[in-house]
Amino acid sequence: MAEKSKRTQVEDVDRSLYDFVKSEEGYERYADGLTPDIVRAISAKKDEPQWMLDLRLKALEIYQDKQMASNWGPSIAGLDMDHISTYVSPKTKQAKDWNDVPKDIKDTFERLGIPEAERESLAGVGAQYDSEIVYHNMREEVAKQGVVYTTIEDAIHDPKWEPVVREYFGTLIPPTDHKFAALHYAVWSGGSFVYVPEGVHLDYPLQSYFRLNAQGAGQFEHTLIIVEPGADLHFIEGCSAPKYYEANLHAGAVELFVKDHARLRYSTIENWSKNMYNLNTKRATVGEDSKMEWVSGSFGSHVSYLYPTTILKGDRASCEYTGITFSGATQDLDTGCKFILLGKDTNVSADAKSISKDGGVNTFRSSVFVGKDATNARATVSCSSLMLDDISRSDTIPQMDIRNNTAQVGHEATIGRISDDTILYLMSRGCSEAEARTMVVNGFADPVSKELPLEYAVEMNNLIKIEMEGAIG
Amino acid sequence: MASYTAEEPTVTLERVNTPPAQTWNYLKTNDITLTVPKLSRKGDVYFALPRLFDKVETGMGQKVTDWVTSQAADSTYVEVKAGEKNHAPIVVDVDSNAGTVQDAGVLVRQGASATVVVVAHGTSAEPQTSAALVRIIVEEGAHLSLVEVVATTDAHHHLESVGIHADAGATLDIRQFLLGAGVTALGTCATLAGDNGRVSLQTHYLGEHEQTLDINHVVRMAGKNGRAEVHENGILNDSARKSLRATIDLIHGGSGSKGNEAETVLVNGDGVVNKTMPVILCDEDDVQGNHGATIGSVEPEQIDYLMDRGLSRDEATNLFVRALFDDALIEADQPLARKAVFERAQQVLGAEVAQNLLDTLGLELAADAGEKDADAQATATATKESAD
Repeated sequence: MAEKSKRTQVEDVDRSLYDFVKSEEGYERYADGLTPDIVRAISAKKDEPQWMLDLRLKALEIYQDKQMASNWGPSIAGLDMDHISTYVSPKTKQAKDWNDVPKDIKDTFERLGIPEAERESLAGVGAQYDSEIVYHNMREEVAKQGVVYTTIEDAIHDPKWEPVVREYFGTLIPPTDHKFAALHYAVWSGGSFVYVPEGVHLDYPLQSYFRLNAQGAGQFEHTLIIVEPGADLHFIEGCSAPKYYEANLHAGAVELFVKDHARLRYSTIENWSKNMYNLNTKRATVGEDSKMEWVSGSFGSHVSYLYPTTILKGDRASCEYTGITFSGATQDLDTGCKFILLGKDTNVSADAKSISKDGGVNTFRSSVFVGKDATNARATVSCSSLMLDDISRSDTIPQMDIRNNTAQVGHEATIGRISDDTILYLMSRGCSEAEARTMVVNGFADPVSKELPLEYAVEMNNLIKIEMEGAIG
Repeated sequence: MASYTAEEPTVTLERVNTPPAQTWNYLKTNDITLTVPKLSRKGDVYFALPRLFDKVETGMGQKVTDWVTSQAADSTYVEVKAGEKNHAPIVVDVDSNAGTVQDAGVLVRQGASATVVVVAHGTSAEPQTSAALVRIIVEEGAHLSLVEVVATTDAHHHLESVGIHADAGATLDIRQFLLGAGVTALGTCATLAGDNGRVSLQTHYLGEHEQTLDINHVVRMAGKNGRAEVHENGILNDSARKSLRATIDLIHGGSGSKGNEAETVLVNGDGVVNKTMPVILCDEDDVQGNHGATIGSVEPEQIDYLMDRGLSRDEATNLFVRALFDDALIEADQPLARKAVFERAQQVLGAEVAQNLLDTLGLELAADAGEKDADAQATATATKESAD
C-alpha cells in the first residue's frame, strides 16, 4: 500500500539567480562592531550636519541601553554585532547611467533584471549596493512634474530639502521604538528620499533595489517618502543577497507620510539570503480621505521581524494590506502588520498568507488598535496558513484593542494543509505531484501576486517555484 | 491549631495568566499582575492533592498554583470511580464575602461521568480576594461536565485557575459564566493528551462599571483526531476592561485534529477597553485550526427596531444582558450556582427583572441552596468516597 503523502528527495535548488558573490576587493569596509567612533566616521564620510550626528550618537546610546524582549519572537542569538561591519562601500560614485556603474556591480543588477525593468515599466530606479546607492535615475518627465527621487544623503545636502528631511526624518519611527530601530539611526546609510508634490499622479512606479553583497555586513538604508495632498505614488522595493555561512543583518527603516486625499502603494519583494537577520521597520501615517496599500512578499532571511504599521490619523483614511510569507528550511519568519485607527470612519482590510515547509517556521503577528475617537471604524484581518509538511510550524498571533463602541472589528484565521483529494484530482488530470502542489500554492498566493506589477508577479511566482522544487517530489 | 500570622499582608503575582505564545509587551495583553493576600501558615499540616495532579497544566500558571496551595486551608480531593455515571455534582464553593481560597482536585476514572460546579459568590461591599484552583484528570473514555460561575460584587477580586488533563476518548464540556467581580482573572487549560479527545469550552461574560476581566484559555491538542470548540461571547458596558487570550495549540503528532475558536463581543460603554488575542499554534500539517473574532456594538437599526416596539434604549440594550442571565440560569442548574446567578441578576437587572427571569423560565431556587452545611456535606461525601 502506498504511503500517505509520500515525499521523495530532490537535489538542492539552483538559486544562482540570486546567489552569486562579487569580490569585495578595493571596497571601503569599516571595522566590525559598533562604537561611537564608527558612528562618527559614517557621519563624517557623509559630511552630515551636526543635528544628524547628534541623532546618530543619541540612537547609539539607546541601542546600547535597550534589551530585546525575551518573551516573544524568534531567537537572534546567532547575531553578534561584534562580527558585523556596519559600513561597506564599493569605490564608486553614484551614477545616473548604468554604463558608469562598475562592471561587476552593473552585472549584478543586470542579472537581477533591474535595468530592463527600468526601461520597460518604471518611472525611476535607485540601486543600493552594500551601504551606498550606486545608481539613481528618474525619467525626465517625472522630474518635470516636481517629483523628487534621490538619496537621503543628497537631500540633506540640498538647502531646499534639508529642512524637509529634518522635519520628517525619524519622527514616525523614533530611535526609541525598539533596539534595532535605534541601531538603524546610529548607522543608517543609503536609501531613498521621495517627494511627490500636491496633485501629482505617477503613472509608473518608482523602485529601489537593495543588494547586500558583503559577507558579515549590515545594510541600514532609510526610506523617507512624502506624498502631498491629492498625489498618488506606487513605490516598489526589492532586495536580495548571496548566501554566506556568516550572519548578515538588515535593519532598514521606512517612513511614509501620506497626506490628505492621497494614495500610496508600497510593494516589497524581499528575497534576502538565508543567513540574513531581517529586523526591518516600516511605518505609514495616513491623512484624511487617503489610502495606504501594502503589498508584501517575504521569501528570504534566516530570521525576520517585519510588521508594517499604518496609523490612520485622518477621517475616512483607509488601508489595505496584502502579504505572503514563505518559510523554508532554517527560516523563522515573524511577520505581520499593525494598524492604529484614530480617525472617524477609518477602514482597514488585511489579507495575510503564509506557507511553511521543510521545517520552516512562520508566525503571523498583528495588532489592531481602535482609538476612543475612531467612530465607525472598520477593520477586517484575515490570515491563512498552509502547512506543506509535518516538520514545519505556523503560528497566528493577532491582537485587537478596541476602545470605541461603534467600531466593527473582525478577525479570522485558518491553518491547514493541501488536501490529498485536491492533489489526487490534479494528478488524475496529468500533473505530477510536484506540479499539482505548485499549482495549489500558486493559487493560494494569487491574491498577492495579482496586486503586483506583472514583472514582479512573475518574479514572485518564480520564487515560489524555486522554493517548491526543493520541497516536493 | 496553629494560628495564622500575616507576615506579609500582600504579595504581587507578576505577569500571570500568560498564554503559551506572547506578543508585543507594549500592548499590555500578554498577562495580568495581581496583588493578593499573603498569609503565613507556620506550623500547619494540611492536606495536599496527590502528586498525580502536578502534571496538570493550569490556565493561570504555576505562580497562581503556588499561591493558592499556600493559602488554601485544605485541599479537596474527589475521585469518581471507573464507570460511575451518577455521581452527585462535585461543588467547589467559593464564598467571596469571606475571601475563600479553594484547592480542589478531581480524578474521573475510566469511563465515568462527573459534573464539577465551581461557584464564586458574594454580595458584600467589603473588599476581598477569593480564589479557586481546580485540577481535573479525566481518564480514558470518561466525561466531564464543568460549570463555573463567578457572581460576586465590584468590591471582590476573584482568581480561578483550572487545569484539565484528558486521556484518550475523554470528552469535556465546560461552561463558564463570568457575571461580575471587581477583578475576575480566569485561566483554563485543557490538554487533550490522548487520541479522539473532545472539548467544548463556552464562556459567557458580562463586564460593567470599572470591572476588569482577564481570561486566558489554552487548549492543547496532543492526541490524534482531537476536536476543540472554544466559543466566547460577552457584553461590555460602561468602562469595563476585558482581555481575552485564547490559544489552540495543535501539537506535533496530533494529526487529524481540528480546533475552532470564535469570540463575539458586544460593546456598549463609552469607556470600554476590549482586548482580544486569539492564537493558533500549529506544529502539525494534517490538522485544521480556525479562529474568528467579531467585535461590535448593537447596530442603530436594531436599537431603532426595538425602540419602535416601545422599549427605551437602555431597556433594548439590557435585553442582551438579560439573555446572558437567562443562559446562566438554565445551564447552571446546581442549586448553589443558580442562587448565585439569581443574586447577581438582582444586582445587575433589579429584583423585579430577576424574579421575572426565574418565573419566565419556570425555575425555582432550592430552599437550602447555598447553605454551607449542604455544600460541605456534598463535598465531604465525595471526599470520603475516595478515601474509602
